[in-house]
Amino acid sequence: MRPPAEAIGTLSLIVGVIALLIFIGVEGALVYAVWRYRASRHVAGEAATFEQNRRLEIAWTAAPALILAVVFVLTLGAMAEINGAGVAPAMRITATGHQWWWEFSYSGVKTANELHIPIDTPVELEVTSVDVIHSFWVPELGPKMDLLPGKTNRLRLFVHRAGSYDGQCAEFCGVEHAWMRIRVVAETQTEFDHWLSGQGLPTPAQGNAGERVFLSNICVSCHTIRGTAAVGTAGPDLTHVGARAMIGAGALANDTARMRAWLADPQRYKPGSLMPRVPLSDADLDALAAYLVSLK
Amino acid sequence: MTAVPLWVRRPAGERVGWLRTVDHKAIGVLYIGMGVAFFAIGGLEALLLRAQLATPEASLVDPEVFNQAFTVHGVTMILLAVVPLLVGFANYLVPLMIGAPDVAFPRLNALSFWLSLVGGIVLYFSFLAGGAPNTGWFSYAPLSERAFAPGTGVDYYILGLAVNGAGTIIGAINLAVTILLMRCPGMAISRVPLFVWMTLVTSVLILGAYPALTAALVMLFVDRQLGGHFFDPAGGGQAILWQHLFWFFGHPEVYIMVLPAMGMISEVIPVFSRKPIFGYAFVAGSSVAIAFLSFGVWAHHMFAVGLGETENAIFSATSMLIAIPTGVKIFNWIATMIGGRLRMTTAMLFAVGFIAMFVIGGLSGVSLAVVPIDLAVTDSYYVVAHLHYVLFGGTMFGIFAGAYYWFPKMTGRLLSETLGRWHFWATFAGFNLTFLPQHWLGAVGMPRRVFTYAASTGWGPLNLISTIGAAILLVAMFIFFVNLVRSLRSGAIAGDDPWDAFTLEWSTTSPPPPENFASIPAVKSRRPLWDRKHPEARDTG
Repeated sequence: MRPPAEAIGTLSLIVGVIALLIFIGVEGALVYAVWRYRASRHVAGEAATFEQNRRLEIAWTAAPALILAVVFVLTLGAMAEINGAGVAPAMRITATGHQWWWEFSYSGVKTANELHIPIDTPVELEVTSVDVIHSFWVPELGPKMDLLPGKTNRLRLFVHRAGSYDGQCAEFCGVEHAWMRIRVVAETQTEFDHWLSGQGLPTPAQGNAGERVFLSNICVSCHTIRGTAAVGTAGPDLTHVGARAMIGAGALANDTARMRAWLADPQRYKPGSLMPRVPLSDADLDALAAYLVSLK
Repeated sequence: MTAVPLWVRRPAGERVGWLRTVDHKAIGVLYIGMGVAFFAIGGLEALLLRAQLATPEASLVDPEVFNQAFTVHGVTMILLAVVPLLVGFANYLVPLMIGAPDVAFPRLNALSFWLSLVGGIVLYFSFLAGGAPNTGWFSYAPLSERAFAPGTGVDYYILGLAVNGAGTIIGAINLAVTILLMRCPGMAISRVPLFVWMTLVTSVLILGAYPALTAALVMLFVDRQLGGHFFDPAGGGQAILWQHLFWFFGHPEVYIMVLPAMGMISEVIPVFSRKPIFGYAFVAGSSVAIAFLSFGVWAHHMFAVGLGETENAIFSATSMLIAIPTGVKIFNWIATMIGGRLRMTTAMLFAVGFIAMFVIGGLSGVSLAVVPIDLAVTDSYYVVAHLHYVLFGGTMFGIFAGAYYWFPKMTGRLLSETLGRWHFWATFAGFNLTFLPQHWLGAVGMPRRVFTYAASTGWGPLNLISTIGAAILLVAMFIFFVNLVRSLRSGAIAGDDPWDAFTLEWSTTSPPPPENFASIPAVKSRRPLWDRKHPEARDTG
């Protein structure tokens, strides 16, 4: 089985070469006609008067039709291939689009904006949306798929090479469409299993200042931290937020300083984001940022 | 067939102002004026977008302003600039080309123009009423529903487009009836100039496509203002329904914008090649084929929606098919030039430029019909590049060719060829610099409609090149504007027939008198003026 991106790459190469040959032929003929028949060359005699050649015209109607027939057959093959080519997926992950972040659910274990998948494993991403239409697109992984409210679509993911792949929402979805980024982390099965079992664990109560700030403010009405009293679902699950590379679906890199800046004024980094600015004291911000980044 | 004046315009000698005129030529000029004004506005909006995108993570404009700007840029260029420009040329030229004194319904003609203009004004009034629409020119539901677009922008979009569309529909009926019933004696439908053919096909396309948009707009209005649920999944509606209706309009709309421009260069190329068009029947017939097919390709805008493999395969096939009649035209234009004596005027330069650029847009279009490739690059800058190669490299180059060609007929004065050459080469360079790099940007992952992008993506340099190209385009358009203004005041006097042309509009004065022709002409071939000038080598068609 080939990764969908490779199937698309091969097809693009074939179509690209055909297009390039046609481009050279047609543009060449055009340039030749302009150069050869320009009046300023002072060629003797009048312009020719022919105005049709049925046989030629039928030929240049039929030739593209034949080329396109070949392209169409290749298209059908590649379509079947990127849809899984009859190979059943080894695992299913649900992706849910929200204005302007991604929720990924592994049989109920939820995380956000960072999708972990095992390499060399056919994964089926079941995608849907809770609000407007979004589109899941990680260019290096190949095709995109729209996330529609009220409908579930399926996208086949299959990656050979471990590493992280960046992508983002490809369907205009409102004011912060540009900062609805995705990071896919492809890792070995062992690493993936380790990661997933870690994600499944709740966060033990810490009793520290940051936790108190979190639980005593409106944070809890939108966010969940499993193991605490925070069970909001409007925003991303933060149980292991410290382990994610980015904050705000790609708006900022994730470290304590930037987390503090983000918490102090999300609208500065992601204007229009649904996360409000919560008035907190400097000490509370320090504690809250340290607490969240510690949630690995 | 005899031409019957169905409407007596006014008592002889009375001057009528621009507001009250029902003369097809004056209305044509009004349409063109509207198109030029909105083209300038839409162009400035595009420059704002390019300025913001020139560098990564820029904050020249905030996202809300950016989203309004790209929405209004799309609507403006398509519905308020390109369509009025093309309808304006058709209004001016069709009666002259078929030897008629006016269009079939002159008062209706005035109504179409004023509705089109008022639609545009309603759309722009949204800026004063609390914010322009910000959901893209395609205004996908449910983003355009009240829950996600609570402002009045989308309501102005609905009203503006509905009113503008009513004008366009009425105008299409008028032009179709004119072409079918008001041709002068001898002007068989197989002899009308190809621009007239394209206008006829376009009018039929408008009659099929625009009502779907109007219906969708009414449904969206019901959803937003009357609590309906047509496109609201939470209320049992279907978000995809909007897309089907919109693209059932939207794809024929592409041909509505391309075919008349193809008609323009089908007039320009033969005249400046000193030859009749090669394969008249194939050029006309392929347009009819395009018209039929264009109603069966809409879902290629929706391959990533998840319609299913069978549906995608069918729409992939129809979308590939439409490339065939399109390719035929390109071969015919080149064959027209072969063996000719090419006068490379500015009009001819733009016509050749049309072919050169449209080939690129056509090839990238075929690649988008290949479903797996489309799934990789749809909604990316690859599509932005593709559509601008079709609509700017194609249609706008055609309109510029037409402008240089027919300006003398409309005004009695020639446009400056020196400035014209500067205009052409600056446009050619600026256009390619702007849009060629966008193919690559899309292929490596830059989505459309983003107000900025992360510096880590590495998309900065190509975006900067693209923005520099846009600045060159601004200079090019300024040159054109100077040329228009200067030539209007002091351009060389054109005379009736400055290009030694073939068709009837050049047999009358420049500009033509109110009644167009001193007496209704009679024709015996496709090139009546050629026959008159070369009685020894008359056309036989």
